[in-house]
This record gives sequence, C-alpha cells and structure tokens, in this order.
Amino acid sequence: MTTLTNILHAALTGSIGQHGEVAHAAAGAAPVQIAANGPWYAVLIPVFAIAAFLLCALCAAFKVKSKLPAWITVACLAASCGVSASVYAWVSSHGPAITYVFDWIHVVWGKDKGQSFVANFAFYLDTLTCLWMLFVTGLATLIALYASEYMSHDVGQGYNRFFAAFSLFVFSMACLVMADNFILLYLGWEGVGLCSYLLIGYFYKKPSAVAAAKKAFIVNRIGDLFLALGIMLCFVHFGTVEYKAVFAGVEEYIKHFEAGEFNKIPPVAQWIAYLLMGGAFGKSAQLPLYVWLPDAMEGPTPVSALIHAATMVTAGVFLIARTYPIFMISQYALHSVAWVGALTALLAATIGMAQFDIKRIMAYSTVSQLGYMFAGLGVMTSVGAAAHVFTHAFFKAMLFLSCGAVMHGFAGQLDLRKLSGVGSMPGWRIVGIAMLVGCLNLAGFPIITAGFWSKDAILGGAFANPHAQSIGWILLLTAGLTAYYTFRVYFRVFVGPQHFEPGDELHAHDDHGHDHAHAGHDHGHDGGHQSHSHDKAAASHDFHPHAPGWAINTVLAILAISAFVVILPLKLIPGELGWVGQMVEGSTARAVGHMEHAKFFGFDAHQAMMVVSSVVGLAGIAVAFVLHYAGRTSAATSRADALLPAFGPLANWAQHKWYVDEFYDFLIRKPLLVLAHLFHIIDQYLVDGLVDAAGYLPRAIGRLLRPSQSGELHGYALGMAGGVAALLLIVFLATTSW
Amino acid sequence: MIDRLQFLWPEIILFITTCVVMVIGLSKTYLRRKATALIAGAGIALATVWAATRSPDAESVTAAAGQLLLPHMVAYAKTLIGIVGLMLLLLMAGTVDREEEAQIAAGRRSFDPLRSNRAEFYAFYLFSLTGLMLCADADDLIWLFLALELTSLPTYIMVAISTAQTRGREAGVKYFFLGALGAATFLYGFALIYGATGSTNLNTIASHFRTDGISPLAMAGLLLSLLGVSFKIAAVPMHFYTPDVYEGAAPQVSAFLAFVPKTAGFISILLLCAVAGWAYLPAGQAGSLTTVKAAPGGTQLPELMRLMLWVMAALTMTVGNVLAVLQTSVKRLLAYSSVAHSGYMLVGVVAGPGGPADQGFTSNGVSAVLFYLLCYGVMNVGCFAVLAALERSPGRDGNFRETETLADLRGLCTTHPALGWSMVICSLSLLGMPPLLGFFGKLPLFTAGIRAGELPLVVILGLNSAIAAYYYLRMAFAPFLETPDASAEPVIASPFRVRQLAAVVSAGGVVLLAILGNSLMEECRKAGEVRAGIPFVTGGKAEHASAAAD
Repeated sequence: MTTLTNILHAALTGSIGQHGEVAHAAAGAAPVQIAANGPWYAVLIPVFAIAAFLLCALCAAFKVKSKLPAWITVACLAASCGVSASVYAWVSSHGPAITYVFDWIHVVWGKDKGQSFVANFAFYLDTLTCLWMLFVTGLATLIALYASEYMSHDVGQGYNRFFAAFSLFVFSMACLVMADNFILLYLGWEGVGLCSYLLIGYFYKKPSAVAAAKKAFIVNRIGDLFLALGIMLCFVHFGTVEYKAVFAGVEEYIKHFEAGEFNKIPPVAQWIAYLLMGGAFGKSAQLPLYVWLPDAMEGPTPVSALIHAATMVTAGVFLIARTYPIFMISQYALHSVAWVGALTALLAATIGMAQFDIKRIMAYSTVSQLGYMFAGLGVMTSVGAAAHVFTHAFFKAMLFLSCGAVMHGFAGQLDLRKLSGVGSMPGWRIVGIAMLVGCLNLAGFPIITAGFWSKDAILGGAFANPHAQSIGWILLLTAGLTAYYTFRVYFRVFVGPQHFEPGDELHAHDDHGHDHAHAGHDHGHDGGHQSHSHDKAAASHDFHPHAPGWAINTVLAILAISAFVVILPLKLIPGELGWVGQMVEGSTARAVGHMEHAKFFGFDAHQAMMVVSSVVGLAGIAVAFVLHYAGRTSAATSRADALLPAFGPLANWAQHKWYVDEFYDFLIRKPLLVLAHLFHIIDQYLVDGLVDAAGYLPRAIGRLLRPSQSGELHGYALGMAGGVAALLLIVFLATTSW
Repeated sequence: MIDRLQFLWPEIILFITTCVVMVIGLSKTYLRRKATALIAGAGIALATVWAATRSPDAESVTAAAGQLLLPHMVAYAKTLIGIVGLMLLLLMAGTVDREEEAQIAAGRRSFDPLRSNRAEFYAFYLFSLTGLMLCADADDLIWLFLALELTSLPTYIMVAISTAQTRGREAGVKYFFLGALGAATFLYGFALIYGATGSTNLNTIASHFRTDGISPLAMAGLLLSLLGVSFKIAAVPMHFYTPDVYEGAAPQVSAFLAFVPKTAGFISILLLCAVAGWAYLPAGQAGSLTTVKAAPGGTQLPELMRLMLWVMAALTMTVGNVLAVLQTSVKRLLAYSSVAHSGYMLVGVVAGPGGPADQGFTSNGVSAVLFYLLCYGVMNVGCFAVLAALERSPGRDGNFRETETLADLRGLCTTHPALGWSMVICSLSLLGMPPLLGFFGKLPLFTAGIRAGELPLVVILGLNSAIAAYYYLRMAFAPFLETPDASAEPVIASPFRVRQLAAVVSAGGVVLLAILGNSLMEECRKAGEVRAGIPFVTGGKAEHASAAAD
C-alpha cells in the first residue's frame, strides 16, 4: 500500500510539474556519440537464442517426446534476458557502444564515400536497444514458460517444432533490434517474418491457419519491399548502410530541419523515410497493411501474445525510433506517420467494438494500440511511443495469455456470447485477476495503471503539438472506444452469471489432452465439474473445462504484478516518463528541434490530458458496465443488443470489419488473378516458345560443331594448325592500323 | 642467382620425394612398393606446408636477384598446387596394376617386380607437380619451356597406363602427338621473342618492350606462344584433344589433366601477358601513371594480344558449352566443361590487373584467375572423384568397368549418399550457384571484366553460364531427383575408399571455402599484383642496358 501511495504521490506531484519542460529540453544538443568498444558478451543474447533453436532442432531430429524443448528454450531465453540486463548495466554506465562480432559483408571497391559496402555482424548498443531487448527477452522467457503448458497437448514433433521456431524468432528479433546496420536489421526483419509465418501456420492441417499464414507473409512482403527500397536508397544517398555513418550523414541536414528549411534537404534523403515507413506499416500492421494481424490469431496463443502483440509488431515502431533522425529530416514523413497511426487506431477500435471473438478483439486492439505508438512517433513524442510499446508489451501479452488460458480450458471457445463468469469459477481466479489488470491497463484506468501513463504521454504530446490537434482528437475518441470494447470483453466473459459452452476443439483434442485435464489439474477439474452440474446450460455432457496449471498461473501472476511494477520506472524516476524517457533521450530516437507548445483550451496540454483522458477512459468503462454487465442474466444477450438497431447498418459493417478484406480482394486480388491468367497464357505460348527456341540454339550449334570431334588424330592436328592460322589471320586483319 | 634458390625448396622437396619413390618402387616386395603412395603424399604435404609458410618475402628479393613479374603469386600458386595435388593423390589409389594386384590377392599369380608400374606412376605424378610448381617461379623463357614440358611429358604416359583398356593407350598417343604440336607452337613463339629482343630473361624482355616497344616480330612470337600454351588450358583452337583424352583416361587421371596442365598453362599465360602488357605499377604509385601511358600496353594488354585472347575466350566458352550440352558421357561432358571454364578464366586474363586504383580483389582480373584456378580445382576433383569412386559390377571377364554415363548417376543420393551429395554440390558449384564456391570464383571474373570495360565479353560469359546450367543441372538432378533404372546393372562403390574421401573432401571444400573465403581472397588479391620486372625508370635506354647486363 505504501508503494501505491508513493506512486500516486510521484504521479501527482513530481511528474506533473515536470511535464513539458523536459520533453523538449534536449533540443539542439550534440548528436548521439557512439563508442566502438561495446561489451563482447552482447553477442551471447542472440547466441543463446540460436543455441535454443539448434537444441530444439536436435530434439526434433531425435524425435523427443517430452517437454525437454520447452525447458531448453526457457533456460536459454532466461540466459539471454540476464545478458540483456548486464548489457544494459554496461550501457548505462559506459554510454552507447558498438560491439563488433565478425565481418559479415565487407566489400570495398574504392576509397571514396559509397565505394564500399560494409554490413558487419555488429551490434549497436544504446539505451533504445537495451529497452527493446529487455522486454523482448523477458517476455519471451515468460511466454515460453506459459507455452510449455499451453502446448502440452502437442508434445512430440509439434512441440519441438513450436519451440524451435519460437527460439529462432527471438534470435531474429535480437538481430533486428541489436543490428548496427540496415542489412542485419533486414536479416532480423525477414527472420521474424519467417518465424511469424511458421508459427501462424503451426496448425498446418487447418486451412484457415494456412491461409492466415500466407496472408501474413504476403502482406508483409509488400511492406518489406518498401523497407528494402528504403535501405537501397539510403545506400545510394549516404553511401553506407551502417547506422553510425548514416546518422553522421543525416547530421548535416538536422540544422536545416531545425531551421525549418526543408527545401535545403535533398529530396532523395527525404524519400528514405517514406520507404522505411512502408516497411514499418507492414510489420506493425498499420493502414493499409493491417489486414494480416487479426487473421494471424490462427496461431497458438503464446505466439499471438509474444509475436503478434508484444514484440514483432513493435518492430515497425522500433525501426522508426531507431532511424528517427532520418524521419525528422523528411518534411512530411512524421506527419504521415501520425495520420496513419491515428486513423489505424480509430478504424481498428471501431472494428474491435463489434467483434465477438475475444482473441480477435485483442488483435484489433493491438492494431489500434500500435496506431497510438505510430501517432506518438509522428507527433514527436518518441518517448511516449516507446513507453507505450513497453507498457503495452506487458499488458497485451497478459491479455492474450488470459484469453489463451480461456481458450485452452474451454476447448477453443472464444465467443464472448458463449462464455460468462469465467473469473469466478474455481481455479480461474488468477486468470480473472490478470484479465482485469490487463483490461484496466488497456482501457487506461487513471493513475494506477501503466497503460494510462504511456497513453497519456501520447495524447498530451499530440495536443501539445500545434500541428497535431486533429490527431489528438482522433486519439482521444479512440481512447474512449478502447475502454468500451476492452471492458465489454471483461464484463461479458469474466464476470456475471456462470455459463460456458465448450468450443469445437472438444473432439479435436486427443485423449492425452483430456487425461491431462483430469490428472494434472484435479482442483480445476473438480471446480469445473461443480459449476457444470449447477449450470444446466452447459452444452456438452462430458466436457469439463480444465483450469490452468502452475505454469500458466505463474506467468499470469508475474505479468499482472509487473504490469503495475512498470509504473515505478515510468513515474518514480524524474523526467518525462522517467526511466523509459531517459532510455529514449539517450538514444537515436531522441526528438530534437524546438516546437512551440500548444495549449488545450488554455491549459497545458499534458496536464489537461491527464484529466480529460481519465474522464474519457472511465466513461468508456461505465458505458460497458451499463450495457454489458448491469442486469445481464445470460451469456448470449445484453442490453447492448437493444441499441444495435439505432446504429443501423454501421454495426453490421463494423462487425464485417468495414469490408476492407473484401475491398482489397476486389481491388487488388481479383485484378491480379485476371492478370495472372493473362500472363500465364503469354508465358505458355510466347515466352515458352522463345525459351524453347533459345534452348534449341546451343544444341543446334553443338550439332554443327560435333563433326569436328571426329576422334581422328590428323583431323585434330589439322584443326589446331588451321585454328592457329585462322586466329592469327583474324588478329592481323582486325588491326591493320597497327 | 643463389637468391632464386630460396624459392625452389618446395620443388626440391618434391624432386627428392620423386627419387625416393622411384628407388622404393624398385624393391622386390609388394608391401614396400605400396608405401610409395604414402611417401608421395608426405612429400607433397611437406612441400605445400613449406610453400605456404616459408616462401621468401617477395618484396625482399631484389631486381638484380631475379625479381619475378608476379612476385606474390609464387607462394600462392605452390600452395594451391600442393593442396589440390594432395586431393588428386587420394584419387590415384588403385589406378595402375589393379588387375595384376587383384590376381595376386586371389593367389592366381605371384608378384612380378618387372610388371609393376605403381612406382613409375607416382613418380610421374610427382614429376608433373614439380614441373607445375617450377612454372610459377619461371623468370626465363627456357625455364618456362622446360617447366611446361616437365609438367606435360609425364601426363602422356599417365594417360596411357591409367587403364588397362586400349582406348587409354589411344588417348595417350593422341595426347602426346597433339601436345607435341602445341609445344612446337609455343617453342617457335619463344624463339621469335628471343630473336626480337635478344634475351630469354622475362625481366629483360619486359623492360625491352617498355623502352623500345613491341616489334612485329616479337608480337608474332607472343601470339604464337599464347596459342601454343593454350593447348595446356584446352582453349579453342587447341581444344580438340580434350574429350577424347579425358574419356580415354581413367577418371582420376582426367581430373588430374583438368587441373595440372591447365594451371601450368594459365600461369604461363599470365607471365607472358605480364611481360608484354599491363601496368607495372605497385599499388599507390599513381604519379607514374602518365609515364606508363607512353609505354605499350598501359593498363591493358597490347591491342593485338587483347584481341586474340578476347576471341579465344569467347570461342572457348561457347564451343565448350554447346558441345557439352549434347553429351551423355559424364567424362566427355566434364571435358567440354573444362574447355568452357578455361574460357571463363581467359576473361580474367583479358581484364588484367587494372591500374593502381583497382587493387581490390573484385577488380583485379589476375587475382580472379588465380582464385578461379583454386575453385575449379576443388570442384572439378569432386566431380571426377565421384566417377572414380564408382564402378559397374565386373563383367564376364572379371575386369572392372568404369561408370560413364549420366544414367549411372541416377539416384546416387539414395544409393550412395556421400557420393551423391558430393556430386550435387560440386555440379552446382561448377554451375556457379550462389552460396557455393563456384559463384564466388566466377563473380570476380565478371566484376573484373566490367571494370576493364569488356562488357560484350562479360555478356558472353553470362550467356554461357546460362547454357552451362543446362548440363550441370542434369548432373545435379540425376543423383538427386531421378531413380536408378531397374533394368540397368547396379552401380557399386569402388573398393578404393579413399576416392570417396576425396569426393567428400572436395564437396566439403566447396562449401567451407565459400564461407571462409575472405582471407583466401585477400591472398589472391595480393597474388594478383603485377609488378615491374625492373624498377621502373623513365630513363629508357640506360635502364634497359643495365637490365640486359644482368
């Protein structure tokens, strides 16, 4: 309780006074300096992860049928996390540094600028890297622990495959985050994309999972194309792909940026930001490339929690934060980022409001929250964006894991109309509490949740930016919607009268899974049975929901506690958003430049936002309470149903995701299909014909020359002598001028 | 002259080994004769290690003591020769006397010292390697001629005795006569060069060319020498013998033919080109570039030599590839592929080392050639080793029979996984598939060609690589994708297991060298530095005179 008081105290006194001044205090300072002598042990972070991958692959090779791969993964990732912490300790005492591991690509064809192509396996270790690596490895460890239980019905090759891909993901993410050049980042970027594809398609016998995996991969390819083009343009303009040299090159344009003279910055340099942005939008599921993320929920829930909520999808935010100077020197890039982010946030929130699948709601909320982060970057509050990445990683992972526990226990049931009062069922208490904590964070419950502070920083930043007022309003509206749909899930599923219908995976679960429910979780099973016997509405006679075991509960408890604990570094350390603020200010993501501070109806924007966003958040929760909790007697219906006609077709459209998928299908996929058929015909008759002809040519020449190889000695001798004569003749004829 | 001796220790070691092998080979007991292979291996290994570690620093050798035109090449080339030589030696097991020894083992006859060819075979092999190494430190036309002939003469006999079949003898005879024709051609060329310049010393000739220009007589000599030497590399128009000889010889000897004479030929061509052209500038002396422009050649070869090599490169690649497309015999196919690869390497010769600004590995054509020799040696040994490690089950006469056609390779990945995969890897590498060694070998040929402005030739090189894909993919797919014909007689592994080892080592080398190639490329970059034979002074006559007096 004392802690809470301290937090409140710090929040109310310390930081409110400090808002504003600190935010733009660093403007115009010297560029970020980076030393070349980073700690060698930074390499252990990816090494542990790849070791876990190799060991899991070995497990697969030896067809291990136990939980061994899970324990390997947990141990290795925990070691990675420990190394990350010690790297952070090093960086915080010695300042940013580069750790060189080995020459990866090193081509030099001249001494001038742009006449070498160097992309070493080296790590750029600054506080931004550390921030990302800490939560990536930390969450990965916890989620691997969770998955050890969650995936237990698949022990065997599937289990081995899962943890191998999981470890490979962490390795790729480490490459992405720690890279000291764009090429290594790209390697990681593609690596996480590959792992995402493999894990979404984990249930590869399920057509929808395969389709989702392909969709994710293909949509990401579009973004990756832009990223690749951005990297190439970066090389074309700056003559290097190493961050250090690129930032040194950007430095000369920063003064033009500060003076607002964008016409003095070459357009090519400005274009880099737009292209990189395209890559970021793909990976982080922003308009117009967000469509893959909701479908990606076909993967196992730990994957959704780690990759599609906490870490991989923030790679786009990371890319922009890492290359923030490049974005600053581009006149409209950050504005575009802000607008795309805000519109994505709103669109995804409206879709989330009308969905019934709780995991899908969480997916849309992820898209929406990522939109917040982009908006935060766009309105020049990179600190707020990074803080939101950080807090969001914890509470969204927790929300997904809670949903996953429900899905695991109720045989794949995710429909909020078929579940009710889960939190009060025996054995489900920790899940209920974790869900509540997560929902409070996502909804931005004032003061006591970390999500509130990070979201507030973005909102305040938007309203403080004189060019981003409309973005601020959009985000504020979205905050209200977010609070509503978040608590819609909570009030429908976790509280209220107890009721459940098992999902369709009941029969898909093999006997092992069912035995597991009986043997492993007696307490949960008994409880489930009681509620079952009381609840006449239960659809299946022999279905017993099995409450989560120790691994899931432990992870959820740790995450629930840490969702509060992350407030401490945010609020107890002075400066805007405390520790995270320091981390960002000390890195490449620092926002520079002076900007006049806009007022919100005459009040300081940051201070006003604390109050306004609190009110909006609470209002959203209240609406959800009235519509979905108060007086609800069954799982399937609520007062909200009565309101639906009032919205007319809007509700229906939102439920169908505004028909965006169908629109893309009509606009892009169908024309491409037609074109593909057309090209197929051209290929078959014209191109194949030409290729056949070209393939025939060498054979024809060969047949022509073949008689020269008669096998007769005098023929050969004649050929040689004749050839010598002919060649000499050619040479002397060709150069008569000599 | 005594300074020159310090370059020669690897050759001296090899020569001593050769003598030991010959003497041991005369012993009366079968067992002692069997030791010859081991002694040969030890000798080559020692020579290789010596060349790699104890070669004198080329910078320290003064001009007066006979500085070489490609001073750094010596150590590199000898190490390369030693390494590939060791791999080839693994293959040579059981090449000669196989049937006699089988009969002895079966007790059908007793050991007859007079009929055994084993020691002679290894001695010839070592002689040939010695000659090859001697080519690398040639600083005189006579030296070069003797070294080339020391390389070649043993090969004629090795071809003839490598199999018990008549076609081996036929191949040996053909190879000998045509080889003599080639040797006559370049000897005539050498004579013309001597006639034009009055010297056989390469340094002296080079400085003569630089000061007085290349007279038409000397140019005719140079062109004839290049044409004659191109017999060794099997370039058009001297390529006719290749398929017949490769097919007639045992596959292990064909592997040897594809590497040893080819390397000798390329080293000679590089030396001859260095004599007549290219910029003789150590890196960093950009200031004297203007003076070089006045000299014949400049950063390029003399126009006539460039033109001839250009035509030869284009023809060699194309003829080799289009004829290979039609083959079903793997040995003939590899023979034509050997022709084609010589054409690829000629692109590097045409490109030349470039000016002082182009000292990087990727822009120096000479480095590219030297690197490609290593790449080609490794992957080529791999392909032939797979052939040598396989045979058909003995026919009615009890004699073993070679595998020959592509059909014999079908399904090898399942029947003999190690050999099958070696074949797949080496074929793909010969094709130049990116992660493998062949790609990294071919890449600098392209970049050096582009750097030198030889775009049409580079386009021809690219087209030929595409044509080559056709037959290399057949070679790679046959073991991997196809299944053995049920009706055909099964292919069995040769009893000489070291041949399998050679195949696996080559395939491993193809993969490993591609990964660890960085330091190797640095060595090649250095080896490709071409330098003035004589310290470069613009004075002209005085310098020439002093050089001649040497």
